[in-house]
Amino acid sequence: MSTVLEVLPITEMFEPSNCDDLCALITSAHDSETAIYPLGGETALNFGLPAKHSGWGVSLKQFDQVIDYPARDMTITVEAGVSMQSLAETLAKENQRLPIDVPQASEATLGGVIATNFNGPRRYGMGTVRDYVIGIHAVDGTGRAFKGGGRVVKNVAGYDFCKLLTGSLGTLAVIHQVTLKVKPCPQRSAIVVGTVKNLAQAENVLAELVTSATTPAAIELLCGPVWHDDAIWDGDAADELAIAVGLEGTDAEVQWMSAQLLEDLETWGVENCREVEQSKVADAWTSMSEFPAQHQSPLVLKGSVVPGATTKLIEAILGVDPNCSIQAHAGNGIVIASFSEFPVDGLSRTLLAKLHPVANSAQGNIVVLSNPGGHEMTHQSVWGGIHAPFRLMTDVKQRFDPQGILNPGRFVYV
Amino acid sequence: MATAVSSNLTERLRTAVGNENVLSADADLMVYECDGFTIEKNSPDVVVFPETTSQVATVVKACNEFGVPFLPRGAGTSLAGGCLPIGGGVMIVLTRMKEILEINIRDRYAIVQPGTVNVWLTQALKGTGFHYAPDPSSQGACTIGGNVATNSGGPHTLKYGVTVNHVLGVEAVLADGSVVRIGGPAEDSPGLDLVGALVGSEGTLAIVTRVWVRLTPNPQGYRTMLGIFESVEETSNAISDIIGAGIVPAALEMLDRPILVALEEAFKFGFPLDAEAVLLIEVDGLEAGLDAQRDQIVGICEKAGAREVRQAANEAERAKLWKCRKQAFGAIGRLSPSYCTQDGVVPRTKLPHILKRIAEIGAKYDLQVVNVFHAGDGNLHPILLFDEREKEQTQRVLKASGEILQECLDCGGSVTGEHGIGVEKIQFMNKMFTDEDLAAMGNLRDAFNPFNNLSPDKMLPTSGACGIEQKHPGRRAAL
Repeated sequence: MSTVLEVLPITEMFEPSNCDDLCALITSAHDSETAIYPLGGETALNFGLPAKHSGWGVSLKQFDQVIDYPARDMTITVEAGVSMQSLAETLAKENQRLPIDVPQASEATLGGVIATNFNGPRRYGMGTVRDYVIGIHAVDGTGRAFKGGGRVVKNVAGYDFCKLLTGSLGTLAVIHQVTLKVKPCPQRSAIVVGTVKNLAQAENVLAELVTSATTPAAIELLCGPVWHDDAIWDGDAADELAIAVGLEGTDAEVQWMSAQLLEDLETWGVENCREVEQSKVADAWTSMSEFPAQHQSPLVLKGSVVPGATTKLIEAILGVDPNCSIQAHAGNGIVIASFSEFPVDGLSRTLLAKLHPVANSAQGNIVVLSNPGGHEMTHQSVWGGIHAPFRLMTDVKQRFDPQGILNPGRFVYV
Repeated sequence: MATAVSSNLTERLRTAVGNENVLSADADLMVYECDGFTIEKNSPDVVVFPETTSQVATVVKACNEFGVPFLPRGAGTSLAGGCLPIGGGVMIVLTRMKEILEINIRDRYAIVQPGTVNVWLTQALKGTGFHYAPDPSSQGACTIGGNVATNSGGPHTLKYGVTVNHVLGVEAVLADGSVVRIGGPAEDSPGLDLVGALVGSEGTLAIVTRVWVRLTPNPQGYRTMLGIFESVEETSNAISDIIGAGIVPAALEMLDRPILVALEEAFKFGFPLDAEAVLLIEVDGLEAGLDAQRDQIVGICEKAGAREVRQAANEAERAKLWKCRKQAFGAIGRLSPSYCTQDGVVPRTKLPHILKRIAEIGAKYDLQVVNVFHAGDGNLHPILLFDEREKEQTQRVLKASGEILQECLDCGGSVTGEHGIGVEKIQFMNKMFTDEDLAAMGNLRDAFNPFNNLSPDKMLPTSGACGIEQKHPGRRAAL
């Protein structure tokens, strides 16, 4: 894993501990036109274009307090530097959770997860982090503190900064406090797995799952060497493609779904169908959550396409690197590909000639999650080849950060 | 900015959308002087009914050229004055763009034009095993474009989320007349979540001309219950206990006695007219889990003091219960000539307190206040009954409404859960938000709508003006 100073041109590190200090720091950076790199758990440093302007690192590590946790209202207000694991532990005491799966949860901070809009397997059944943020406090690029939303689960007063800041990569404002709505923990969690012979069969099964009577929390398609080496999967993904379906709910619901699904999967021709042993289920979820943090991989890409084109995109990726390890949140059309080697044709040419056309024809795109070597990190290769309204996004950016000091040069702006 | 539309502009509009799609006679315009919020009224100068995105863009460009304000409108069911044409100008009514363009079950989305009525989509999905989840009570009339503008909710949003959780992408005409597509059927579009910013922006950022919505699988089964209580306090305690126990029903609605009386007269459902309040509770999902959830809820209600918990015996009874709930507002006409519905939200554990305070505030202003609301979300809809022909009564309604909303804020809540700010609650924005918060919102609006000619003077208080400054002679009700 790269360290922060290897990745970012940081001249000085700051760890403000309250909003006033954060405002003062950003005001000072604004006045001196100094770049600011907001830092959470430093687990996604390679995400985005390489930073070119030297500047200050601003760690939110000291923003780690629980402000208010009215558990019976099923909301929690916390500072953004709290780690995902610590947040999960706090919520677990009340049998509640934020059902967002992230790798390196002991390091990754809530603010970082929101800024990168990071979501894992449970996004199929539980939604993404944007669905849970109901209040947000942040400091813009002029040093001005502002908030959006509130502390109640339903609220349409004012513009929805909770959504605007989610996924903005710290480029509009530095998030320092968040209110979340949370969910009760399920009584039981199970994972049903099986193997399919090829991608065509996988698509048939995925299409059947859309109209299945079961209500999965996750629908994953897994293949490649990373899964071979993982004992939890007992070699399910060794030579073939594995389909893993996460099920959560009451005991009765999960038992019914598991039995139904095992029967359905066999009907659809899936082989080696079984329910993962209860003692291994938690580890299996962790294994699926940790996959994107393949730091030894020279290149990790994330593709998003309409769900029905998931296997088509996987086929194209395997065409580039047959030894690629892949995790698809197949119910959502999200494909994460951890390459075994950097594409021999180069990143830009590979994307342009082989991958972007497939993603674009399925109304999607491909972005670079991590490219530690930093080769060929251009706007188009990192942020996809589609014609998103980047100009309009840039207009928004300029209003919140007129000097362009927040995470400069790393996001989609033109 | 001009306050009246010249004949030159009107002619341009007629050329752009066709003579038959333009209204400019006073009698025709009066229909468009307000939406479901009837206290403020003002006619637009011209109403146009474009049929295509490019017509919308042409209309917007023409308005810009002539320096005339413009705003979009769906079915006009907004309860906060979001469709009030402040300063007159051109109203762009999107009800002729009403096609369902695509339904894609494999990829779980549909594409609709903004004038598509909410319930049409669910009807079109019959037999597919899917539905469109946001179900505002006005779903038989309101449009999906309007739902996007106000981030509409509805009874079932407790479990399924509000409009923004179900919109994948939009095509929109910006304030300068350019057309953009943001998001789409594939998730995780790169860049800022401008879809999330547009949903709920009440027509102040862009005019949405096409919407990609997510489709939700129908639940395998339902258990629909009616908890009958002797006191409002017991009812609100039961709500708080259900949520506190970690149960997320599909819907959890409270109706108090006056509403039940009105509904009974209208629908003859068999509501217990001696009960002080009822809870309409629905759990849905897999059959395997429903009886247990039902039993748990029945237990909680009984412990909280419910006299009886009935269960809908069959689908017809369930449908009738929901019909009653969704038409509750219509039945209020039996209680008084006018009514004003508020939309405050409180943390759910504060429901017992806020319901007590609403009753006290009603008594203080000598007004009858009835309640029918989304209890599970803490989203209140106190309905203040009055006669808008009596000026003094109207003033009392406004004062009482203000006090109720202030009380919601004092509880840590919001002044609007699903109806929007519009013009109605604009004076509350600086009670909920600091000057810095509002300046940040102004920044977002300026990025999309730099000259504030699209839906001007909505949602955000303008400097030096508290609420509406009427710029154009018009007809005002009540005030």
